[in-house]
Amino acid sequence: MIQKITKRNGQTVPFDSVKILNAISKANKAVEDEKMTTTDLLFLTEKVCDRLEGEGCTVEQVQDKVEDVLIHYDYKRTAKAYILYRNEHTKIRNSQADLMDIYKKLTYSDAKDEDIKRENANIDGDTAMGTMLKYGSEGSKYFINNYVLPKDIAAAHMNGDIHIHDMDFYMLTETCCQIDLIRLFKDGFSTGHGHLREPNSIRSYAALACIAIQANQNEMHGGQSIPNFDYAMAIGVAKTYAKEYWKSFMTYLRISEHMSKADAQKTADQFQKALKEKPSLRNTEWVEEIISTLDIQGADHDVLKAAHRFSAENAAEQTDRETYQAMEALVHNLNTMNSRAGAQVPFSSLNYGTDTSPEGRMVIRNLLTATEAGLGGGETPIFPVQIFKVKDGVNYKEGDPNYDLFRMAVKTSAQRLFPNFSFLDAPFNLQYYKEGDYNTEVAYMGCRTRVMGNVHDRTREVTCGRGNLSFTSINLPRLGIEAHGDIDQFYKKLDEMIDLVIRQLLHRFKIQCTKKVRNYPFLMGQGIWIDSEDLDIDDSVAEILKHGTLSIGFIGLAETLKALIGKHHGESEEAQKLGLEIIGHMRKRMDDESEKTGLNFTLLATPAEGLSGRFVRFDQKKYGKIQGITDREYYTNSFHVPVYYPIKAYKKIELEAPYHALTNAGHISYVELDGDTCKNLEAFERIIKFMKEQGIGYGSINHPVDRDPVCGYTGVIGEVCPRCGRREGEAVSIEKLRELRKKYPDVPVY
Amino acid sequence: MTSKNTMAQHEREIGAQVGFERIRRITGYLVGTTDRFNNAKRAEESDRVKHGI
Repeated sequence: MIQKITKRNGQTVPFDSVKILNAISKANKAVEDEKMTTTDLLFLTEKVCDRLEGEGCTVEQVQDKVEDVLIHYDYKRTAKAYILYRNEHTKIRNSQADLMDIYKKLTYSDAKDEDIKRENANIDGDTAMGTMLKYGSEGSKYFINNYVLPKDIAAAHMNGDIHIHDMDFYMLTETCCQIDLIRLFKDGFSTGHGHLREPNSIRSYAALACIAIQANQNEMHGGQSIPNFDYAMAIGVAKTYAKEYWKSFMTYLRISEHMSKADAQKTADQFQKALKEKPSLRNTEWVEEIISTLDIQGADHDVLKAAHRFSAENAAEQTDRETYQAMEALVHNLNTMNSRAGAQVPFSSLNYGTDTSPEGRMVIRNLLTATEAGLGGGETPIFPVQIFKVKDGVNYKEGDPNYDLFRMAVKTSAQRLFPNFSFLDAPFNLQYYKEGDYNTEVAYMGCRTRVMGNVHDRTREVTCGRGNLSFTSINLPRLGIEAHGDIDQFYKKLDEMIDLVIRQLLHRFKIQCTKKVRNYPFLMGQGIWIDSEDLDIDDSVAEILKHGTLSIGFIGLAETLKALIGKHHGESEEAQKLGLEIIGHMRKRMDDESEKTGLNFTLLATPAEGLSGRFVRFDQKKYGKIQGITDREYYTNSFHVPVYYPIKAYKKIELEAPYHALTNAGHISYVELDGDTCKNLEAFERIIKFMKEQGIGYGSINHPVDRDPVCGYTGVIGEVCPRCGRREGEAVSIEKLRELRKKYPDVPVY
Repeated sequence: MTSKNTMAQHEREIGAQVGFERIRRITGYLVGTTDRFNNAKRAEESDRVKHGI
């Protein structure tokens, strides 16, 4: 009878056959038939021990014997379950070691030395909160990988066939959301403790916008977007104007007409009642006209007219100033409040550009001005992501009411990299558009995501309150490599992978559907997600989540094409044709699945921050460095022409535009300009307009934005700062800086 | 040079060891400095060529 067994850690312990019996029993319970009785279990255990007689015994050897015995005595299903269970345990043991290794790296290394600490450029991985966030995140991912995911899906993610994004949040929440501020602010709201009244001035509107973004960010793991920023803030501008108007009106009567405060108030009240309409930026002339028809105590028509003119002028000036300060404060707030899990600022997006009211225009103008001015030291703001919605007839060409603001946006973007530009005339966006209705204007969230269509409810293809549920990306280049030039084989494997990811998205969705309103006190409790206002605190959110999207993403189309036919789509028409076919096919699979399930399956041009390196690292290990495919540290983003490939801006836009139509879950195209071109705003504008003409949905121009913190210069800096002449790391004299400040007021004071 | 002069000179120089800030777009959002980019995105950013018009 075997007495001792050697454990994996080398320890020798007494042999206990009961452990074998329990393991067999557990595997047997996991299958549907082949039910074993106690007698069967004892019999099988004895047979295992017999086979061990006379051999030195390790845990691995015992497990081998158990498998042999189960198969020998025809318990095929139990054997299979036992083998899977054994593999599972191996994985868990391996991962466990990895997790502690990860925790060590997080704790002891500097971010500059550890790539994992720089997975999210938004988080300072060297701080306490940043590290704590990573502890939680890595621990959660381990848990999901080993205890939650179906085994084949976990395997696919672990070996780099797919990438499940935001896996740490798998059990918890959804990705991005489009927050309707107008709806939220009406009658006020709450973020937990205490009620916030409906705001009454542009400053409060802007402050509460930040609060709303922050509150929602703490309930979701993706970007928070305002689809109607100008429309919402315009209401605040109007309220401020009215306040300023009546303040000025009172002041005028008291100073110019020597009225007492009480008398002035009486006159003002009467006038206000008689007007019936609130004084605003729109009705200045109309008010002046109807004064002749009014009979107000304490003031004749001339006095009223004079008071009105003064008040209108003063109110406009004051309101403009207030609006500027409100926008400045908003930009500062969104760059400085580390209110997202204590370690980063919220990921905020503001969409605007189509409100042609005087109030809306005042908001847009001041937001752009504040953005250009920058932060306290003149630094370029990182957030919010600003998206100027370009629309022919509204702001696109000479004669359009907001064209001046479009030109201003171009100027600001040329200096500060924001705003980006979205195009409501792209056919896939235009189909929803109704003039003047912000709920029909496509917005973009986070890095580039988009939710508009709605298979679940065709009457609710709107922007407000919509969001995305989760996304998972496919390693397209790997499929390309493995196909060995056989396109049919490529499509076959691609379809299998899509099937797997659909299963996974539904698996995650099922978990998301177990949540109740009480799990989202702000997002659902305050009615931000569409239709959540109809639910009670303990109601399930399953039905309303169906308005969200489940997305499959991809990276590295360029490398995929290179693997399949030797060229990428920047350098070959044939490759472009094949690229469009492939992405078109993926889109069709999503549309078909949507039809079949009634859920919103969409295709995403994955943003890929951490993922850009992850897939290629796996593939380098697997296939070695294949030229033009795995020989760099990254795969090209989504459907982009590779960043290293020399190509004209117009050509790049032309090639990438058709992919925007296919990627309904989100997309973006970039053009890289050198700093000099940016001094040429006409060229900048022409590029944006070309994007619109080509049917791009969302586009942006990149150019170097450098800053010398010593002398405050912002622009393009090569080796030497153009303002103070120093090189990186060199010092300049304080006298020189004082001299420079006479010419450039933004040189910092020392 | 007396030690007093050296100290005075040292006080009056600003910027030793201070680099330039290079704002770059990462995946649709900006980051204040490429120090924070992960290795893959750093490699990509340094590969980026400019597009002529």
